[in-house]
Amino acid sequence: MLKTINLTKKFGNFTAVSNLNFEVKKGEVLGLLGKNGAGKTTTLRTLATMLKPSAGTAQVCGYDLLKEPEKVREHIGVLFGGENGLYDRLTVAENISYFGELYNMNQKSIRERLHLLTEIFEMQDYLHRRTAHLSKGMKQKVAFARSIIHNPQLIILDEPTSGLDISAIRDVHQFISACKKTGQTIILSSHLMFEVEKLCDRIGLIHRGCLIELGTIAEIKQKFHSDDLEAIFLKVVGENS
Amino acid sequence: MNLRHIIIVFKKEVIDLLRDRKTVFATLFIPMLLIPLLNLLLSSGVKELFNEINENVPVALAQDSNTPEIIALVKEEIISKNNHIQLLNAQNPYQALHLDKIRAILSFEKNYQTKLQAKEPFRIQIIYDKSQNKSAGSIEIIAQAITEFNQAVVAERIVSLGGKAEMAEAAQAELVNIADARQVNNSFLMLILPLMIGILMAVGGIPAATDLVAGEKERGSLEPLLATKPNRQSILFGKYLAIALFSFISVLASIAGLIFSYFINPQSSSLLGEVSTSGMNIPPLAILFVLAIAFTLGLTFAGIQVALSTFARSFKEAQTYLSYLIFAVMIPGYATLFTQPSDIPIYMFFLPILNTLSAIKIVLGGYIIYRYLAMALLSSFLYVFAALLFATILFNKEKVLFRS
Repeated sequence: MLKTINLTKKFGNFTAVSNLNFEVKKGEVLGLLGKNGAGKTTTLRTLATMLKPSAGTAQVCGYDLLKEPEKVREHIGVLFGGENGLYDRLTVAENISYFGELYNMNQKSIRERLHLLTEIFEMQDYLHRRTAHLSKGMKQKVAFARSIIHNPQLIILDEPTSGLDISAIRDVHQFISACKKTGQTIILSSHLMFEVEKLCDRIGLIHRGCLIELGTIAEIKQKFHSDDLEAIFLKVVGENS
Repeated sequence: MNLRHIIIVFKKEVIDLLRDRKTVFATLFIPMLLIPLLNLLLSSGVKELFNEINENVPVALAQDSNTPEIIALVKEEIISKNNHIQLLNAQNPYQALHLDKIRAILSFEKNYQTKLQAKEPFRIQIIYDKSQNKSAGSIEIIAQAITEFNQAVVAERIVSLGGKAEMAEAAQAELVNIADARQVNNSFLMLILPLMIGILMAVGGIPAATDLVAGEKERGSLEPLLATKPNRQSILFGKYLAIALFSFISVLASIAGLIFSYFINPQSSSLLGEVSTSGMNIPPLAILFVLAIAFTLGLTFAGIQVALSTFARSFKEAQTYLSYLIFAVMIPGYATLFTQPSDIPIYMFFLPILNTLSAIKIVLGGYIIYRYLAMALLSSFLYVFAALLFATILFNKEKVLFRS
């Protein structure tokens, strides 16, 4: 589903992502762990074709990042944490439908998908309210629904629970689990150990733009002879800093 | 680029902007109300000042001229024929002039009576305050009254010598205007309309441009949009067209305001002057040319606005950059404000902004040369293309689009 080949991104002299090589299989959830500024967001932005790689490339859903960026975007759904990027003056339904139209969906498909997502995300009560008047948790649900309106094969989530309260975090976790059950592939970034332990099949530790560990949680724990992922993370980062 | 995506983005942006009270207010209501309001306020102020200057001209005599003989002379022979001039008795004439209670002080030469009897000229000083509008404005009326007194005395002297009273006058000046009605009526429009259209085109789309790119960056809604299927050119063009539309709406609102202000106060001299539409007779082809040229200027500015809004890191920064656009029109506009249509050199029809101002000016001035209009239109298209290219380059540059 996703394969990066020496993926590198530089900003001037600064190398944000260096020679990244990893694969994500269909239906798998990969978590990218790293400190702030480690290169997680840059990696996800590059995979979402928002940033152009300085070197290397990636195959996303069978399409090359550099050669067919539009095709790549057609098959991915992207959600950034923190700012949910909704249009405050549009209603929930309008926000979601707008993205459906941008993905070339016809009105019937948009209506059907909107109906389904409204039920999954329990948005019935505020579907026709402008998003400016919603709580942060509600907004995150809408943003999540909007990012998967076109039923993408790969979902890219950049710190999806950033700034949310416990109840909203639980909701987001449930949605990710639900997506996983339906066979969708997910790559997410986080700095919350419990989150990746709970949701991810495999994790990749990113430090200073380099992928320094990649494997299942069990494999990594076994390798470092520890059950504490946080301790492992600090050890790995500490050793390399 | 994908036309379908452009239309989808355009439609969404228009709906979004129409729901933004700030943008609607700044784009539609302010231009529509500002001109009528300014016109009403300014014209009523001007009218009041005009009436004050012409119909109420109080004067006083200087302290050493305040004698019964001079008072009688002024009242009976100088101001008697002009009902608007009144002679007041001021204890301190200079203070009265300073306080705007009188328009001028008349000071007679000390031995004026001797000179008058000896039929020699004597001097009357009209002391006024040029820094005060009313005093400066009334001075001609007072001078005219003294001139008439002068003529009457000279005529009397000629008659006493056996001549005719008409001999006091050597020549009579008569003004003959050869300009046709269209030129007279268009002269004011020719002066102000090109600049006004240029400024409106430059600023009309600013609220929309600020919101649609820099605003979206700040609100974090641009990134998810860039991660959707459409390419950046399609997104940019959708936004660009929405900005251009709001720019034209703003211009139309201003013109509607201008027409409205003319109808509610046709006599106003502050903004529309003595303009009458009765004498205007511009050929339809020339009107079409002017509309097309003004339209392309709007498209050029919309492109520049998108580019500057893309370059800006925040909403506020975009507002600052975009506010400078007004100078791009004002500087060439004021520099050529008094250039007559027939004096406009041919190269002006190729220069950005000046080509539009010059084209409107020659059409309103009745000096229509279609070759020049075609040059202005052609060069305008080139500037639209250049502005769009500039905007596209910036919108595609990661360093610019994501700079913070």
